[in-house]
Amino acid sequence: MLWVTWRQHRGLLSCVLAGFAVAVAGMLYAGLKIHHDYAIAAACHPAGATSCLLLTDWFNTDWHLGNGIRVALLAAPLLLAMFAAPVVARELEGGTYRYAWTQGIGRVRWTVAKLTIIGSVVTIAALVLSQLYTWLFVPFLTTQDLTVLSPAVFDTRGAAYAAWTLTAFCLGAFLGTLIRRVLPAMAVSLCCFAALAAVTVLSLQRHYPVAAFWPRQLFESGWLLTLSAVLVAGTVRLVRRHAA
Amino acid sequence: MSVLTLPAQPVRGAEPALRPVPWRRMIWVTWRQHRGMLIGVTAVLAAVSVFLLVMGLKAHHDYTSLLNCHPQDSAACAAIKRDFNNTDWPVSNTVAILIQLMPVLLGAFAGPAVLARELETGTFRYAWTQGIGRVRWTIAKLTMIGAALAILTGAVSQLYAWFFDPAREFEEMNVLAAGVFDTRGTDFAAWTLAAFAIGAFLGMLIRRIIPAMAATLGAYLGVQLLAWLVLREDYPVAIDTTNARLFSGPSTPSSPWILKTWTAGSTDWWRYIPVSRFWPMQFIESGWLLVLAIALGAATVWLVRHRAA
Repeated sequence: MLWVTWRQHRGLLSCVLAGFAVAVAGMLYAGLKIHHDYAIAAACHPAGATSCLLLTDWFNTDWHLGNGIRVALLAAPLLLAMFAAPVVARELEGGTYRYAWTQGIGRVRWTVAKLTIIGSVVTIAALVLSQLYTWLFVPFLTTQDLTVLSPAVFDTRGAAYAAWTLTAFCLGAFLGTLIRRVLPAMAVSLCCFAALAAVTVLSLQRHYPVAAFWPRQLFESGWLLTLSAVLVAGTVRLVRRHAA
Repeated sequence: MSVLTLPAQPVRGAEPALRPVPWRRMIWVTWRQHRGMLIGVTAVLAAVSVFLLVMGLKAHHDYTSLLNCHPQDSAACAAIKRDFNNTDWPVSNTVAILIQLMPVLLGAFAGPAVLARELETGTFRYAWTQGIGRVRWTIAKLTMIGAALAILTGAVSQLYAWFFDPAREFEEMNVLAAGVFDTRGTDFAAWTLAAFAIGAFLGMLIRRIIPAMAATLGAYLGVQLLAWLVLREDYPVAIDTTNARLFSGPSTPSSPWILKTWTAGSTDWWRYIPVSRFWPMQFIESGWLLVLAIALGAATVWLVRHRAA
């Protein structure tokens, strides 16, 4: 199934891997620059001198870079939800499911294997990227008056980013199986994931002490993993009940 | 039988019979063929607008009470500030991230659907052999969908700029900052139009809808990074000065955007863009994006004409 999954979804998987490679290279480059600029600005004495203010201003241009990467990082799961929709929907729309589902492996195992393989790849990639971004973002926690619990910072750290990415993939796959048409499924997955993310941010506005970081992370990852499992079960159920 | 029935039709000259189908008929055809997308886009944008209006009123109300609070360092004012920081700012920031994705997502859904879909499913054989001709068919659809998207997103971006103003001032963000500049004025509509043109062109080039959508995302990101990191600093609006006092003091929303500093002899030089150059920069950027969109549209039409049906 590994080979079949790669063969069938090599477009999606190679885009994910290429995006991952570009992101790692870009973040290493940007992170080294940001840490370097910050170290120089922080070491400047006295802090009020014109030359030091210039260094601080210079570091502030790095914030555009850090913020741009953050927007791209938060956008990635959204796009994944969109491009996960065709994983099953394409076979349903194109009629190729009649061939695929009647192979020796059986349709349920076929679906579970595909979802597991692609889901693992995107989750591992997301985990690596979020750890890299956590390192890149460290100076901004001081300069931008942000904490690890600030919205849109919290979600790029710890286990939360990987959990959001997995949920995006499972949501896309489920809605694709439900709607059965590629383009509408992509649009609906996108809107549903954006709505889910927005509602989560809106409902988590209470102020927590920084010590609550890991409990909050475990809570958020926990309910996202549960949601992912429910969505996979829903997808399998739809596949099982669909007339071949 | 047909020999008998044919002359029964009113005899006309060759010229009126060859007269092309009127353009305005294409409005109905475009609507009919893309109504799912057009209704979907309008519905999503309407929902976004209602959300922006409700949240914007709240943010403006909260920010006004923060500005009018005296004395600024009292406990009551700190509470208002904390409240703004914990409620209005996260909402504004989340919306800011989503709104920056809107042009490219609209472009990726609307662009390839115009041509790649007909090519992939084979319906172009029917569509391109109608009386109107394939070139006019393509021009009409690109123009109408492009104009609809530009008008809708232009309106939403005006509302968004108003919605984001309190958060922008609170966070001391400059209107020239990347991600703020792009969502205001005429720029947002221009980026959407460019994204749509990129999508339509790549759809015609790749001829398969999902790869064309992915390629649209990549190409748009490339153009946007080019604008952010290279082009925008070189728009002919920057000013060189030796007056260091312009840049002293705390950073505020009206602080200039410093591009670079260098030393010539014993004098320090600054190159900067003042906030007052916002509109010239907007027109420059929207202008080249419009030219890019028209060029891509022309290339799409050229491909339609020259690639075998």
